[in-house]
Amino acid sequence: MTDTIATDNPFTPQERTILQTLAGMIIPPSSAYQVPGADDDLIFADILNTARANENEVRTALAFAQSMDKPLQSATAELQGSPELNPVVTIVMQCYYRDDRVMESLNMEARPPFPKGFEVPQGDWSILEPVQQRGKIWRDA
Amino acid sequence: MSDQVNFEPADVLIIGAGASGATAAWNLAETKMRIVCLEQGGWMNPAEYPSAERDWEARAQDDFSINPNRRKQPADYPVNDDDCPIKIANFNGVGGGTVLYAGHYPRFHPSDFKVASLDGVADDWPIDYETLEPFYAENDRMTGVSGLAGDPAYPPKQSLMPPLPMGRSGQKIASGFDAMGWHFWPSDSAIATQPYDGRAECINLGFCLHGCAQGAKASTDITYWPHATRAGVELRTWCRVKEITVNDEGMASGVVYFDENGDEQFQAAHVVIMACNGVGTPRILLNSRSEQFPDGLANTNGLVGRNLMLHPYASIQGIFEDELDGYRGPHDSLWSQEFYETDENRGFVRGFTYEFNRGRGPVATAMTGAFSGRVPWGEGHHDAYRRLFNRIAGVVSICEDLPELHNTVTLDPTLKDAHGIPAPKMSYTISENSQKMLDFSVERASEALRAAGATELMIESPLSVGGWHLMGTARMGRDSQNSVVNEWGRAHDVRNLFVIDGSIFVTSAGVNPTRTIQTLALYITDQIKKRLANLFD
Repeated sequence: MTDTIATDNPFTPQERTILQTLAGMIIPPSSAYQVPGADDDLIFADILNTARANENEVRTALAFAQSMDKPLQSATAELQGSPELNPVVTIVMQCYYRDDRVMESLNMEARPPFPKGFEVPQGDWSILEPVQQRGKIWRDA
Repeated sequence: MSDQVNFEPADVLIIGAGASGATAAWNLAETKMRIVCLEQGGWMNPAEYPSAERDWEARAQDDFSINPNRRKQPADYPVNDDDCPIKIANFNGVGGGTVLYAGHYPRFHPSDFKVASLDGVADDWPIDYETLEPFYAENDRMTGVSGLAGDPAYPPKQSLMPPLPMGRSGQKIASGFDAMGWHFWPSDSAIATQPYDGRAECINLGFCLHGCAQGAKASTDITYWPHATRAGVELRTWCRVKEITVNDEGMASGVVYFDENGDEQFQAAHVVIMACNGVGTPRILLNSRSEQFPDGLANTNGLVGRNLMLHPYASIQGIFEDELDGYRGPHDSLWSQEFYETDENRGFVRGFTYEFNRGRGPVATAMTGAFSGRVPWGEGHHDAYRRLFNRIAGVVSICEDLPELHNTVTLDPTLKDAHGIPAPKMSYTISENSQKMLDFSVERASEALRAAGATELMIESPLSVGGWHLMGTARMGRDSQNSVVNEWGRAHDVRNLFVIDGSIFVTSAGVNPTRTIQTLALYITDQIKKRLANLFD
């Protein structure tokens, strides 16, 4: 996922700085949960790589963020919930919640679903007894 | 490629290798006729499905999106759905929509075929449940259906494999329905819970809607197609049909298509079977204009593309305090048909199915939280996220849509696919009856989820992404003025043209349509086999 070298990336240094700042504003690190923020270097490399495939949408979002008449770090209230930022929020969430450290903090194994799969309990099928006792509910035709 | 292709006339040419096309190909194979199927996409490789990779949730919004306008893969064609509150969902490739469906696999009910007689709306089907029952059973055997016999919402039917696990989510939601005294039952699922016909059993990957890497879900590329191709059916991939041609007698003579190199080809055929879904089929018919059929093939009464039905969905999800299944386990678990049959006291006719939803993955949870305002930016993000993660479960209601002439698939005047073929345009409004049904389903589900312990509800009605059931645009009927195909799927206007996909539905029922689409494909191809001696009379 993070196989892009910096020179392959279409974003300017300024745009990258804005994107990394936004990532950290959206998801900061947490000492309580022992997780990095989304501006962590490893996660941000994934974000940058993913953003490349959505270059135009991301660039438009970054331009919107830059248009705020106050420093970015103090514009959370204005930016949060703005549909213009949706492409950036989407990519940040996609990359953050597949990071090994983040998944492990959620008690997930850091792996894709296949081939190991997951355990799901059968549940208690006796809950069906009242439904059975009620009898037929389909309509004759 | 063209040098190796046999362009001699096919006895039967099937357009589309999805749910119905695969079923028809298999059922006709025993005739030893020369059967060719043209499919605009390619074969699937389950090892490349998203659930085999770390970015599985991101790919669900990208190359494995259910929306072709977002997916934009080479097999896809654009669909103008700007005039439709419910957006198109489909898949193009061997297996068609079954590659991306949930495998939620209910049958129609006896009453679904008699809506005019029972409720005074729309039209009765020209066939009934009893006629189709043996074909349902045969399709179940080929597909491999899991479930639990004895559902009081249905006439007796077999169950081939044990049901999918109820899990924590199913148990939780069921407790709410139990508290209300309502029906619920393990869903019939086209998902193997035991090894079945060369397929492995479900291991709860939890990502059925974007391809099953395990091969437990019954997409037709791994059910019908291996049997059909072994029996001699030729499946020609990456072939996009432009139009069906006709001869001087007004019979279909073959199809013009673009092959994988983009070269235009002609394949002659004695019989043409349309299996392209409720949008793709009218698109090709309307693109097939000729002197005999200036308004499109089989369209002398102007009904091709009309009566589009979609199944309006409502999504009602609860947030719970207990940990539930979340990302683990197949989409399917239980269903409720408490409100399936008509009760006029509700203010609408017909009814709906609740399909229970198990949960969602870590990224989908984050997106839900962020875009609903429940998970803020900054300091409070982590606590708020953990209040949602593995704690969201609920239901969707699948509401019966009734046919209306003004809901249509037409040809877009400007939009074209990569081969320059005019693209379809969907125009659709939700009827007053459907809206009342949606509203009722939201109210009742909210009661049940609250009874189950939900502390908050998240509601989307109609579910805007849910245009995956495409029906009614070449409807079946005995009256040639009021339908496109007859009671065994043959076009009234063209005696060697058949339609077997969801286009032929007279009404939509309140259930997922794939099991009935495949059952009808078996029924119609059985009729073809029985009538071979006088098929064109």
